[in-house]
Amino acid sequence: MGRAVAVIGTGQTKHGRRDDVCYPDLIREAVKAAMKDARIAPQDIDAVVYGSMPSMMEGVAFNHLYFSEALRSLGKPMLRSETCGSTGQSLAHTGYYWVAGGMAETVLVVGSEKQHEGDAQATMSTIPEPFLHRTIGGAPAAFSMQAREYMGHYKIDEDKAREAAAIISIDCHEGGYLNPYAHIKVRLSKKEVKEARVITYPVRLWDVCPSSDGACAVIMAAEERAKKICDRPAWIKGIGFRGEEYFMGDSSKAVWRSAIEASQEAYKQAGIKNPRKEIDVAEIYNPFTYQELMFLECLGFCPPGEAADHVIKGVFSPRGELACNPSGGVLCTNPIGATGLIRLAEAVLQVTGKAGPHQVDGARIAFSHAMGGAQQFNAVTIVSSEL
Amino acid sequence: MRKVAIVEVQQTPGSESSLNLMEFTYKPVKELLDKVGMRRDEVDTYIAASSDVFHSGMSCANAFDFDAVGAFMKPASRQEADSMWAFHYGCLRIMSGHHDTALVVGLIKGSENADNDTITSCFADPFYLRPVGIQETTAAAMQMRVYLDRYGITEEQCARVVVKNLGNALYNPYAHIKKRVRVEDVLDSERICDPLKAMECAPKSDGVCAVFLASEEKAKKLTDKPVWLKGYGCAMDTFYLGDRDLLNTQLKTASKNAYSMAGIVDPKKEIDVAEICESYAYQELLWCEQLGLCGEGEGGRYMESGATQIEGPFPVNPSGGVLAMNPYIPRGLYRIAECALQIKGKAGEHQLDKKVKTALAHSAYGFAGQCHSVTILGS
Repeated sequence: MGRAVAVIGTGQTKHGRRDDVCYPDLIREAVKAAMKDARIAPQDIDAVVYGSMPSMMEGVAFNHLYFSEALRSLGKPMLRSETCGSTGQSLAHTGYYWVAGGMAETVLVVGSEKQHEGDAQATMSTIPEPFLHRTIGGAPAAFSMQAREYMGHYKIDEDKAREAAAIISIDCHEGGYLNPYAHIKVRLSKKEVKEARVITYPVRLWDVCPSSDGACAVIMAAEERAKKICDRPAWIKGIGFRGEEYFMGDSSKAVWRSAIEASQEAYKQAGIKNPRKEIDVAEIYNPFTYQELMFLECLGFCPPGEAADHVIKGVFSPRGELACNPSGGVLCTNPIGATGLIRLAEAVLQVTGKAGPHQVDGARIAFSHAMGGAQQFNAVTIVSSEL
Repeated sequence: MRKVAIVEVQQTPGSESSLNLMEFTYKPVKELLDKVGMRRDEVDTYIAASSDVFHSGMSCANAFDFDAVGAFMKPASRQEADSMWAFHYGCLRIMSGHHDTALVVGLIKGSENADNDTITSCFADPFYLRPVGIQETTAAAMQMRVYLDRYGITEEQCARVVVKNLGNALYNPYAHIKKRVRVEDVLDSERICDPLKAMECAPKSDGVCAVFLASEEKAKKLTDKPVWLKGYGCAMDTFYLGDRDLLNTQLKTASKNAYSMAGIVDPKKEIDVAEICESYAYQELLWCEQLGLCGEGEGGRYMESGATQIEGPFPVNPSGGVLAMNPYIPRGLYRIAECALQIKGKAGEHQLDKKVKTALAHSAYGFAGQCHSVTILGS
């Protein structure tokens, strides 16, 4: 279907609190790094895709206008995709369709957020409409409720879920410690995770992602050009996006239909029948540890209701059967508009052998994912070292 | 590259609606699906165009819009900002071969938003532009001033655009502003940002526009009058006004690319009608120049020659344009819908009195038109 599309370069900023640069310069840092990685110049880019979270995050609306120079977009066409937390993956899909559709040979895809310039949770609390929903508040409340719903649905013992969530937290923070771009750099003991202060029960401090400044740029090219200019392209093999209804409570979120259907669509395109066996590494969107448990099931990595058992056995640890979030994941780095795209960039680094200290040996097929909205959207992109 | 066609379009009128945003969005979507004869879940993909800042006070517009757009459990995405971009993205999805049908929806309920310029002032960076009060209208006033000074364009010529477009809008059931005005009325209206007069600035409207796209094979099954995408071009300009010549815009690049894709050599001869985004009256004259319809500095005389009148050789904005109807986000899609209706011969009372084979739709936004998109449609 369409033309084959490859990622030929990625660039990330150092994520964290970036008071040292203004917002456009943060974007320049990622764009420059991606162009260096792909060994191309701005004039080689045909089109630009950009996205971030809503303007309330940093107080500038339609910020692609403000960033037009940083995005090297003068005289070029642009698309501005935005789907809440899943924005980063939606950006990747936009770039993919642009090349696959034949309207561009090379596309620069950029996502960013500079969360220390605003109040992310205040923004998040304006996603619920003002009459029935707004009192729910920001992300932790919604996702803690979902964690409880999940544990109740499968009658998962609370201690077991707590144990599995703690292992996910420790593994991710170890990955983040190794990842040169990650925001949170800390090594944790199980005791520290389990006894951390409660944010919204059962979610504790080390179960929650940080609020980061950061940008990510990815360069995509059509088959012929990719083969000509890139030694180790990462081929996009499958993409999927699904969304559910707006009002929370209208359906069960313990069995997360959009995550199931988005990943199944991507597997179908990629010809993957047994994701746990065929995929070598997965970058899952895990702003909360308990959510990763749900994702492991909905993405088809283990049977429903059994994620905690598999996590405790180490199946999804960095050296386990299917390494999940070796980069440290969202739990260590979350500049929201960039986060979904960072998942893809990390997947690309893995299959091209460029991940450095957190490289998973011999990774060939990698899975990337993002989630967004009021428990609403799930998006997936699968890359492979082989066409 | 696969061919893409518009099967059908649906618009809502621009006056304040009593429906809430969700119902307001859903109604034309359902009407469009009924017209095409498809169920919601039979459509392959959905692209919305909405904006977090023009969205009744709710962030992450796609979350709220998702149900009403019809996208539940379907491959979908959203463009923040320009709905012509959403149209382009919908076309790309079909061109890629992944999808055969796409529904593109642009939506806004202006009546629930702050004034447009309260919002456009947020486009400004917080350090240099915002403190000095730059927003779309103040930026436009500067562009108009340069235009008048450099080429001797007269304020009366600009006012004539309002008279023409509001005159056309009288025959368009979907237009927002309906009144017959004279040049003196425009010139005498309040100077809100010199040299711009109140009546030369686009209103703030409610509006949803939905466009149904299909691949060649599918389109031929769904309609006997498909409207084909022939060309597309888009180009960004620099952010800071001082970095550019305000009368030498990226519309030239965007239209050049669209013409070249459509194989158009002489736009004036080969295109039958244009729907262009004139948020401010003088912009229709300036954009006509940049589109290559007349020489630079000749926009005023081109207008006076009667060429762009609804019965003229090159009608511009027979729908009444953005001056008569300005739902900020969907307005680009409205331009496309109007072009499609003209080509199909279904524009009703403002249908042109000639065969329309090729039409040009244009969209612009940002300070003094930082971003331009041009779509060429053909029968």
